[in-house]
Amino acid sequence: MVEVKTLVSNPVLVIGAGVAGLTAATQLADFGIRTVLVDRLPIVGGNAMDLYKAFPTDDCSYCFEGSRLRPGIRKCFYRSAILDQPNIDLKVNTEVTEISGSPGKFQAKLSVGPQYIDSKKCIMCGLCIECSNAFCLPSPQCQPQAVIYDPEMSDEGAKKAEEECPTKAINLGAQPSEETIQVSDIVIATGYHEMKPVSIDEYGYGKIPNVVTQLELAQILDPNGKSGGALVRPSDGGQVKRVMMVQCVGSRDENYYPFCSKICCVYALKHANIITLERDGTQVTVVYMDIRTYDRHERYYRVARDAGVRFVRGRVSRLEACADGTLDIIAYDSLLDKYLKFNVDLFVLSSALEPPKGSAELIESLSLHPASGFVGPADLTSENAVVAADHVYVCGAATGPAEIPESVTQARAVVSMILQSRK
Amino acid sequence: MPSYNLYMGCSVPANYPNYETTLFRVADKFGIELIYMEGVSCCGSPNLRAMDYLGWLIVNARTLAIAEKNGHDIVTPCNGCFGSLKDVYHFLTHNADYKEKVNAELKKTGVEFKGTIKPRHFIEALYNDVGIDEIRKNITKPLDGVGIAIHYGCHLLRPQDVTEFNPEIFDDLIRVTGASVVEYPLWKQCCGATVLPVNEELAIRLARDKLKSMKEAGAAFATVSCPACANQLDLQQLGLKESYGEEYNLPVLFITQILGLAMGMKDDEVGLAMNRVPADPILEHLSG
Amino acid sequence: MTETEEKADPPAVMIEPIDISKLDPDFREGIRSMPNGEELSACFACSTCTAACPIASTWKYKPHQLIRMILLGMRKEVLSSEEIWLCLTCFECQERCPQNVRVTDIFFDCKNLAAEEGMIPDSIVGLARELTDKGQLYVVTADWEREDMDLEPEVPGLSTEEFKTILKGTRTGRIVGGDE
Repeated sequence: MVEVKTLVSNPVLVIGAGVAGLTAATQLADFGIRTVLVDRLPIVGGNAMDLYKAFPTDDCSYCFEGSRLRPGIRKCFYRSAILDQPNIDLKVNTEVTEISGSPGKFQAKLSVGPQYIDSKKCIMCGLCIECSNAFCLPSPQCQPQAVIYDPEMSDEGAKKAEEECPTKAINLGAQPSEETIQVSDIVIATGYHEMKPVSIDEYGYGKIPNVVTQLELAQILDPNGKSGGALVRPSDGGQVKRVMMVQCVGSRDENYYPFCSKICCVYALKHANIITLERDGTQVTVVYMDIRTYDRHERYYRVARDAGVRFVRGRVSRLEACADGTLDIIAYDSLLDKYLKFNVDLFVLSSALEPPKGSAELIESLSLHPASGFVGPADLTSENAVVAADHVYVCGAATGPAEIPESVTQARAVVSMILQSRK
Repeated sequence: MPSYNLYMGCSVPANYPNYETTLFRVADKFGIELIYMEGVSCCGSPNLRAMDYLGWLIVNARTLAIAEKNGHDIVTPCNGCFGSLKDVYHFLTHNADYKEKVNAELKKTGVEFKGTIKPRHFIEALYNDVGIDEIRKNITKPLDGVGIAIHYGCHLLRPQDVTEFNPEIFDDLIRVTGASVVEYPLWKQCCGATVLPVNEELAIRLARDKLKSMKEAGAAFATVSCPACANQLDLQQLGLKESYGEEYNLPVLFITQILGLAMGMKDDEVGLAMNRVPADPILEHLSG
Repeated sequence: MTETEEKADPPAVMIEPIDISKLDPDFREGIRSMPNGEELSACFACSTCTAACPIASTWKYKPHQLIRMILLGMRKEVLSSEEIWLCLTCFECQERCPQNVRVTDIFFDCKNLAAEEGMIPDSIVGLARELTDKGQLYVVTADWEREDMDLEPEVPGLSTEEFKTILKGTRTGRIVGGDE
């Protein structure tokens, strides 16, 4: 067990409860530093929650590699870290609306969403879910361990659920609130957002149901998802036999995002491998400009080729939705200098990873250095890339597309910087 | 000194008795016993491999199996034979299924391939068994100052994991004669022999590029360790006068001829008259 | 005068793609199961093989394209290509392949498949006939040259009978069979 020391100090505000934010918050808390961890979503985990398997370990244990002292294993770790750690004040459904003050003495205004469910009372019995579609359990491992409520789906059943909830955990009349807290340091861990490529009209995203993004594919493949992990077409739930993926959709494109989104090649290949090796008889074709499986991730590419994933260097020339829900695709193969015609059930776009909503405002309000819309370091020549400004730190995909191990490493670097500053 | 099974192949005996005789003369000098293999024939060359892989495996496995009877390793003076034997040896010692299949066929001829002896090129045996120091003691007519371009030949060098040949062997055997090894840009490139039956024009072009590269790098001679390469580089020079209007006058000698001359053998002993491009300059050097 | 010039019609179809569904999906695995074909799938089309090849500049299908065509299942185009028979077998492509694809060996496999289907250059059929008739590619004719060199006029130990018998029982025999 980790010995918890409580130091008298101003708390640290960690914005974003994804992999980076969770790591920073739990480690700071372990060192006795009070931490306010906020996330705009009702559960923690960020994008990682939507990944069925995360590279490079193909599960989600990697980020906890350094936390072996903690009781519990893997996904259970969040629970022990967040619920058992008195130094963490977790605020979900919460956004930071304003930051003022000066370094070391920031005032952060928080807009706290209605707390419809008291997560300390919820026992996840499922009764409310039976009563109304407005309640759901995002995943068995979700944190907080509680159902979530969507007021836009509210119906008669919801009222019944409120009445019948055995622990009286539901309050449909909950109201949003605001509070201002004083913090000494701010850790920006706001992550990334996968671009919805609706404006790239040649791919038909948003118009053709069987055109999805990689994160959407991850959710189809998730055994906890609607299809139980079966690879099915969004249009009709029919089995997918042929998949085509296209890389660099909106990335490395001066019209959208000029940068390489860095991790999409690896997770596209991860998905291609899962489909080829674990979903019998499904053929995957990847259309690419360059495959950038940097560093040790090259193995995903090698495994993919060995497994029989087809690679076409070139671009999609045209795409046509057929009456049976399939797509006719002509791709130009620049290596052969030939056009190839495919018919597929599912067309997956490796869409650019963009800064999340609110990044620009956050950068503006703290006078940070923008880096392609993400948060850049205060000093480009400094070794401390995680220092965004005096008493302001950044880690994870808030710095730009990043993989989980990098996010964890950066989060730890942030913790180390804060500890040094308080010595 | 060791004894070897000598696998001549078909080209050296038919086309290059000068290579064959110098092979024996050099081997004799160092007490290497070369025993002509009984009951063997051609290796089939890459052409047999191209049209009939199994047939190629069987005939070469048979050669290896015959050598296994007396237990001596095989040496060959031909890169083509070397390539075939090495490749079949490598393949059958790494593929149990094929080994079984091939042995089922060989059984009919009364032999079995076990993989107990290894094929080598003659120059490997010379280098490893005799050694450079011992060879140096026998150099009586050093070729000091003569620049020689080595054409190693594709099937001697590649694929390296199969041939396991170290090109420095060739370099050292040239340098020990006092000659210098002329480095030239196309040293790795093919002589063109394999495509001669399919596209003569292309084959000639490749030989020509090779000779040009050697000549431009300042080579006074070229040396080869393969009859097919000799065909391309020596014999084709005559045709180049016609097809390209180019005259290279670059004498091409077998490695054993060069060693022989440097060890004091007479020009007729090494069969220099049989080399198509007259090797006069080397004789001038030796008599000078 | 201009009236005599024929006006070129635009092509009926601007793009005539290769229909993937019409290709042979088993070709890839077929080659992989042949000698030294296992690493075929490791190809990532870097084109090192083409860069290494001394003669690919003259080829319609370059080595890396032939490998791609195998992976895609373009069986007919690969096996009927003249390039596979023009391969020098110099192994430069194979030696330099960063993924250990045995390119030259794979072209040997392709030639074997082509030969099985009768797609084989006449000159190679001629060599097959030499091998089954004479039991070797080169036969000693000028035995006096051998004697001049102090060699036996006949090559000691040479025996072509077993060789001929073996090859008559394998594909070589079938290739020349029609003429027997």
